[in-house]
Amino acid sequence: MPVGGDDRRSAPEPPRTNIPDEQDEQVWRKSEQPTVTEPDSPSTRAPSYSESGDQLPAAALTLVRDADQRLRQGDSAGAIARLERAQRIAPRSSEVYFKLAEAYVAGDNLGAAEQFTLKGLSLAGNDERMQRSGWLLLADIRRARGNVAGADQAEARAAAL
Amino acid sequence: MSKKTPPRKKKTESSPRRKRSGLWRFLFRAAALCLVLLAGWMVYLDAVVTSRFEGRRFEVPSRVYARPLELYDGAGISAAALVRELELAGYRSGDGRRPGTWQRNGDRFVISTRGFSFPDGKEPRRRLSLAVRGDRVDSFSVMEGDSSPIVRLEPAQIGGIYPSHREDRILVELDEVPEAMIAGLMAVEDRQFYEHFGIAPLSIARAMVANIKAGRIVQGGSTLTQQLVKNFFLTREQTLLRKGNEALMSVLLELHYDKDDILETYLNEVYLGQAGTRSIHGVGLASQFFFGESLKDIEVHQIALLIGMVKGPSYYNPRRHPERARARRNLVLDEMAEAGVISGQEAREASARPLGLSAKPSYTDNRYPAYIDLVRRHLARDYREEDLQSEGLRIFTTLNPEVQQAAEKAATDTLPRLASGEVAEALEAAVVVTAKDTGEVLALVGGKDPRFAGFNRAVDARRPIGSLVKPFIYLTALSQPERYTLISPVQDKAFTLEFDDGRRWQPQNYDGKERGLVPLHEALSRSYNLPAVRVGLDVGIPAVQETLRAFGVTTPISDYPSMLLGSISLSPVDVAQLYQGLATSGFNTPLRTIREVTDAANEPLSRYSLKVDQVADPAAVHLVQYVMQETMQEGTGRSAYYRLPDSLTLAGKTGTTDDGRDSWFAGFSGDLLAVAWVGRDDNGPTALTGASGALPVWSATMAQIPQHGFSPVMPDGVQYHWVNPGEQALTGENCDNARLIPFIAGSEPEQHTGCSGSLGRQIRGWFEGLFQ
Repeated sequence: MPVGGDDRRSAPEPPRTNIPDEQDEQVWRKSEQPTVTEPDSPSTRAPSYSESGDQLPAAALTLVRDADQRLRQGDSAGAIARLERAQRIAPRSSEVYFKLAEAYVAGDNLGAAEQFTLKGLSLAGNDERMQRSGWLLLADIRRARGNVAGADQAEARAAAL
Repeated sequence: MSKKTPPRKKKTESSPRRKRSGLWRFLFRAAALCLVLLAGWMVYLDAVVTSRFEGRRFEVPSRVYARPLELYDGAGISAAALVRELELAGYRSGDGRRPGTWQRNGDRFVISTRGFSFPDGKEPRRRLSLAVRGDRVDSFSVMEGDSSPIVRLEPAQIGGIYPSHREDRILVELDEVPEAMIAGLMAVEDRQFYEHFGIAPLSIARAMVANIKAGRIVQGGSTLTQQLVKNFFLTREQTLLRKGNEALMSVLLELHYDKDDILETYLNEVYLGQAGTRSIHGVGLASQFFFGESLKDIEVHQIALLIGMVKGPSYYNPRRHPERARARRNLVLDEMAEAGVISGQEAREASARPLGLSAKPSYTDNRYPAYIDLVRRHLARDYREEDLQSEGLRIFTTLNPEVQQAAEKAATDTLPRLASGEVAEALEAAVVVTAKDTGEVLALVGGKDPRFAGFNRAVDARRPIGSLVKPFIYLTALSQPERYTLISPVQDKAFTLEFDDGRRWQPQNYDGKERGLVPLHEALSRSYNLPAVRVGLDVGIPAVQETLRAFGVTTPISDYPSMLLGSISLSPVDVAQLYQGLATSGFNTPLRTIREVTDAANEPLSRYSLKVDQVADPAAVHLVQYVMQETMQEGTGRSAYYRLPDSLTLAGKTGTTDDGRDSWFAGFSGDLLAVAWVGRDDNGPTALTGASGALPVWSATMAQIPQHGFSPVMPDGVQYHWVNPGEQALTGENCDNARLIPFIAGSEPEQHTGCSGSLGRQIRGWFEGLFQ
C-alpha cells in the first residue's frame, strides 16, 4: 500500500515562533493569484496526514489515571473535569475520547458517550488495538441505547480486526 | 373601703410652687417629646444610612478569569510568553521562594506558585523548576510541594462584570489596597479613624480653632465615616442641618458596621473626579482613570496624589490644575513622612517626580473588551444580569492571553500596511482564534483598536462570506463518491442562468478567465467561481444548504444560486464555528468561552463541557481538508508561507467579495483555527482580496504562536493513490504529473497510465523499491 508523503508516525514537530527581524522589509503581494516566481517549489511542502493519532504524554496520563480513580469513586463529574484537562493537552489521542465516553456512560449520558466514542474512532487510524477497543465500546453503548442493529455492526467491525 | 381624698387645704399657699412644678412638668414633657422625636428621627436616619451602606457594600461584582496556564514537559510556550503569563497572574520577578515570585537564569525558571481553589479541586502551593527550550517546556519538576507532572498556575483575572448603574466603579477589597494608601489616607484625613465612634469632637474643636485663627476654612474635622456618609448623597450643599444629620448617621453607621467594612466602602465610594457626565468614584477606578494602571501597581507619588484629591477633586484635578495638584501631592507626601507611613527619603524622591498621569483616561480594567463582550452574551443564556452584577460569581473563561496578544498585534501592525490614504483610515479588522479540537475561544479581536470597547466586529459584523462557502459545496459533492472525486473534471466555463422571471445571471471568475476542464481539487484550491456554481447547481442548492446547517449556520440561507458564491452574511465567530467542523473532520464542536462558573465560595454553579457531534462523513471531510492544504501550498493561500515556516502544515480558504468589500481568511493548523476579516465598516470597496487583506493578518497571528502542523488521521475508508489527474488514471510515484491524492475506497480510477518522466527518477524509484 502506498504510504503518505512522509513516513511520520506522529504530527510534525512544533516549530519555533517565527517572529521576523524588525529590519526585514515585508513584501505584501496584492493579487490573489501570485506570480510565478514563488520562493519555494510546491514539492517541498507536501500535504500531510497521519496514519494514527497521538500518544498520551505523561502529563495527560496522570490526569487520565486520576480520572479513573474518580470514576471508581463514583464521581463522574470530577472525572470529566480531569479528562477535559487531558484532552486540552492531548487533543489528538483516541484514548482520551474513549475515557470521556466511559465517564459519560457512568454519568448516564449515553448520547454524549456515543459521540465521544465516534470521535475517538476517527483518530484511531491504523492502531488496531485502539480501533478494536473503540468498536467494542461503541457496541456496548449502542446496545444500552436500544440500537441493536448499530451495536451488531460495531461488533462486526471489532471482530474483523 | 373607700379612700377619702384629703380636703384641698392651703390652696393659696402652694400656687407659686405648683406653677414651678407645672413648668418643670411641661419642660419634662417637652424634653420627653423631643427625645421621642429624636429617637424616631434616628431610627429613620438609621434605616436610610444602613440601606445606602448595604446597597453599596454587598454588591460584589463577578470576576472573570483567563484560562490557567498549564505547565508540563512538552508544553508549547516561549520564554517571553511565560514571563508575560506570570506577570499577568500577578507574579513578580524575585527569589522564586516567596509564593508569587519567579527567578530566571537564562532558560531555566524557578517558580513559586500561590495555589488556587479551582472548581474541580485545590491546586496546592508548589515550587517548580523548568527550562524553556525551543519554545517548549522541558526538565519540568516539582521541587517543593505535592509532586505532579502537570501544574496549573492561578488564572489571571482579566476583568469584572459590574452592575450597569455602577459601571463607574472598579471595586477593590481592603486587602488589595496598598498599605501606604490606607495609612496615608488616615494620616492626612482622619488619624483617629480606628478609635473614634463616628465623629471626633476633638478634631472638630481643633479644626474650629484653626479656622478661626486663619480666618477661613483651613481644616476639616470630619472623619472618614462622615465623609463616606456625605458621599452617599448627591447634593453637596453643606447646611448645618445636613451636617447634623451626617454626624448622627456616622454614629449610627459605626454602631452597625466594623471599621474595616467602613474603610473598604469608603475607598470604593470616595468621589475623585468628573469626566463629562461620568463621575469617578473609588480609588480603583481613579487609579485606572488618572494613571491607566491598576491600584496594586501605582507608586507612592501617585498614591499621594489620590489622597490629596480627596479634599477637593475638582480643585485639585491633576489634568486641569497640574501645579495645584502637584503642590497638594507634595504636602501629602510630607504629612505621610511625618506620620511615619513613608521615610523622609521616599517622600523627597516622590516629591521630585512628575504627576505620572496617563495620556488617555481609561474607564475600565477590562483589558479585553471584545472577548468579555462575548463572555457576557454566553452567560446571558443562563444567568440574569442582576445575578452577574451582584453575586460575586467567579467566571472561568477560555481566554489565552498569549494568543490574544498575538491576534491584537497582528491586527494593529498589519492593517496600516495593507492600503494607504483614505482606504487605510477606513479599514477595519476582526480576528477569532479557537482551539481546533476543543472549540474553546482563545482570542477575540473586535477591531483594529482592541482596547476600545466599541462595535464588536468579531461577533456583530455580519458580512457576505464569498468564497468561504466553496468547501461546503464541494463537500456536498464529495459525499457522493460515485459521482465526484478530487480528480473529477469540472468545467471552468462561463454560462448564463435564466430565471423564471426572465432575469439573467452570468457569474464570472475573479480574473475573468476560463480554463475549460479542470480537476476538482484545482477548482477549489484556486477558488475558481464557475466550477463552484456548476457543481453546486448539480448537487442542488438544498443539499448545500443542508450541509451548511449541519455545520452550524442558523441564519436563513438564500435559495438563489448567488449563495453558491457566498452571498450569505455571517460574523467572524459564525465562520469560525462553521470551519470548526471541517477542522475536526466532521465533528461539530460548539464554540465556548466559559469553562465553569462558581459562586463566591467556589461552589460550582455551571459547567460548560466539551461537546462533539458527528455531522458529516469524516472521509468526505478528509478530502476537503486535503484540498485546503493544497490551497496553502499551491493555491490562493500560498503567501502565508512568507511569514510561516514551510514545516508548519496548514489548511485554509480565502474569501473575497465584490470590489474587495470583504476580505476573509479561515484556516487551521494542528492546534489552532483562526478566522480573519478585513474590510470597511461603510462597506466601501478596497483593492484587497482574501489573500492580500485577511491572510496577512491571519499569518501574522499564527507566526507568533508555537504550534503543531496539521496532519489529520486518515479516516476509515480513505486511501491515498498516485494518480495523474489530467488523465484520470493511476500512475507511478515518479512519473510526470503524478500527485498523491486521497480517495474514498472504491472511487479511485481503475486504469493505469503510461509513465513518462525522467529516466533517472524512474530508476531511482525502482532501486528504492528494491530495498523496501
